[in-house]
Amino acid sequence: MANKMINKEYAVKVRNLSKDFKTKIRGEGLKEALKSVLKPHYKIIKAVHAISFEVKRGELVAFIGPNGAGKSTTLKMLSGILYPDTGEIRVLNYNPTKDRKKMAYRIGTVFGQKSQLWFHLPAIDSFNLFAKIYEINGKEYQTRLSGLVKRFELEEIMQQPVRKLSLGQRMKCELVLALLHGPDILFLDEPTIGLDVVAKRSIRELIKEINEKENVTIILTSHDMTDIEKICKRAIIINKGVIVYDGSIKELKREYVKKKTIKVLAEGEIRITAEKGVNVLKKSVYGAKIEIDGNKTSLKNVVAKIMKQNEVVDITIEEPPIEEIIENIYRK
Amino acid sequence: MTFTKYYAIAKTNFINSFTYIFDTLASTFFIGIVIFIFIYLWKAIYASNEIIAGFTIVMMLWYLVMTEAIVTSQSRVLQEIGEEVISGNIANYLTKPYNYLLYKYAYTIGRAILRFLLIFIVCGIIVLLMLGPLTIALYVLPFIMITAFLAITLHFLMMASFALFALWFENAQALEFIYSKIVFTIGGMLIPLELFPAWISGISMFLPFSYVAYHPAKLFVAFSFQNFIQVATMQIVWVTVFLLIAIIMYKTYIKRLQINGG
Repeated sequence: MANKMINKEYAVKVRNLSKDFKTKIRGEGLKEALKSVLKPHYKIIKAVHAISFEVKRGELVAFIGPNGAGKSTTLKMLSGILYPDTGEIRVLNYNPTKDRKKMAYRIGTVFGQKSQLWFHLPAIDSFNLFAKIYEINGKEYQTRLSGLVKRFELEEIMQQPVRKLSLGQRMKCELVLALLHGPDILFLDEPTIGLDVVAKRSIRELIKEINEKENVTIILTSHDMTDIEKICKRAIIINKGVIVYDGSIKELKREYVKKKTIKVLAEGEIRITAEKGVNVLKKSVYGAKIEIDGNKTSLKNVVAKIMKQNEVVDITIEEPPIEEIIENIYRK
Repeated sequence: MTFTKYYAIAKTNFINSFTYIFDTLASTFFIGIVIFIFIYLWKAIYASNEIIAGFTIVMMLWYLVMTEAIVTSQSRVLQEIGEEVISGNIANYLTKPYNYLLYKYAYTIGRAILRFLLIFIVCGIIVLLMLGPLTIALYVLPFIMITAFLAITLHFLMMASFALFALWFENAQALEFIYSKIVFTIGGMLIPLELFPAWISGISMFLPFSYVAYHPAKLFVAFSFQNFIQVATMQIVWVTVFLLIAIIMYKTYIKRLQINGG
C-alpha cells in the first residue's frame, strides 16, 4: 500500500531548495561576551541557495562538497531532519518533513563513522532487532536475510560478536542491516572509511551489485575519490550553497582534465621555466614537477622543449587526481 | 505492532548488558562498599535507640538497598540524553521508524532491570549477612515490584525532561549533578524523609523526587495496602506529568532543530 505513493521514475526531485541559518555573532573579549547575552546579534548564513536536481530510480549519485558547503544541509533536508526554507523536495514522492515517519520505512542509511550494529552482540541479533523495528514480516524477513547473507558471505561472521569482526566484515554487516527492509533509496556516508584496499574493493563491488540487482537508488557521500569514481556514474558537486557541477563523472574528468602533471628528472641541473600555461609546482636541483594547462599551451610543445633543454633521465605524464579536479571546481 | 518493536529493543539491551556484566558488577561492588560503610554508621547511631523515626536498623538498611537499586540502576542516563541533545545527534534518530523517547525508554529499561536486580541482590546479601533479613510477607512482593517499576519509569521521565533542558545549558554533566543531588537529599535516597525537619519532609513528601526513592523504599520496609494505593496513584500522576513535560519539550526541541539545525 505504501508502494502506491512511490514514484516509479524519480527517487529524488528537488526544486529551488533554499536554507538559511541564523547564527549569533559576537566580538572578542569579555565586554562583547556580556553584550551578546543581553542584546544578541545574528548573522544569516545562506547554507543552500535555490538548488535544483533530480535523481532517477536506480541511479548511483555521488554528493561531493567541502565541509560547510551545503552538502550535509542538503542531505539533511532530503532525509527530513531539516526543514527547507523555500523550495520543493520529493523523496520517493514523499515530503521528507511531513512524511518523515512513513518515509523512514523506505530509506536505508549507512554511516562509515557511526556503527548501527550492537557492538557486543552478534550481527544476527542486530538484524533480528531491525526486522522488528522495521516491521518486516517473519517469512519475508527469513528469505531476505538468507539472500543477503549468501550474497555478502556472512554465514560464519554473523554469529560472532561484532567487536570481534574486522572493519571490512563489520561494514558488510552494516550494509546488510541497512538493506534488510528492502529500502528504495540508500544513503551511504563514507562507507569505506578505515578499510584496507581489499576490503574497499569488496564493499564497492557489493554496493554496485545491490544497485544492479535490486534497483536501489544510491546517494553516496565520501571524501574518498576512488569510492566515487568506482561506484558512481554521476556526481553532484555543491560548493558555497550552490551546485557547481551536476553530470557524469566521465565528463567531469574530461572537461576539467585539460591539465596534466609532468615529473621530470634530469642528469644535470634541471632547466625549466614557468611560462604561459606552464606552472612549476616543485623544483629541486635535478628534478621538477610542473603542471600544464592544455587550454593555454600545447602538451606536445612543452614536452618537446623539456626534452630539448635537458638530458632527461625519467619523465612521467599524469592526469591530476580527481581530488585536484574537484578542488579546482571548489575554487571557482 | 508498535509494542513489539519497543519490547524487542528493551530485550536486546537487557541481553546486551549481560555481555559487559563485569563492568556492572564492578560498579555494583562499589555500591556494596557504600552499604557496608552505612551499616557501621547506622550501628553507631542505633547504639542508643532501637527505633528511630519508626525504622529499626534492619529496616533502615533494607530501605537503603531499595533506594540504591532504584536510583543507581539508571546512572548517567541524564548525561547520555543530555549529550545527544547538545550535540544534536538526536537528529539521527529522526530517520528511523520509531520515536526517540520511547526508544530511549525501552533501551534504558532493558539495562536498568538487569542493574536493579544485580544491585539489589549484591547489596541485599551484604545486609542479610551483616544484619539479617527484612520481615516481609511474600504476597507483598508483586506490589513492591509495581511501585519499583513505576519509580524507575518516573526516574527516567524526570531525567529525560531535565536532559532536554540541556539545550539551554551546553553542559549535561551539571544537570546530571543537580538532579542526582536533589534525589539524593529530598528524594530520600540516602536517608528516609522522616529524619529531616518537619518543614522539609512535609514538602518533600509531595514532590516527585520522593516518589522515585523514598515512597517505594518505605513501602518495601513497612508495607500497608493503603499506603501502596496512595503511592502507586501518586506515581502514576507524576509519571503522567513528566511524560507530558518530556513530550512537549522533545517536540519543541525537535522543531527547533529542524529549523535551525542545532
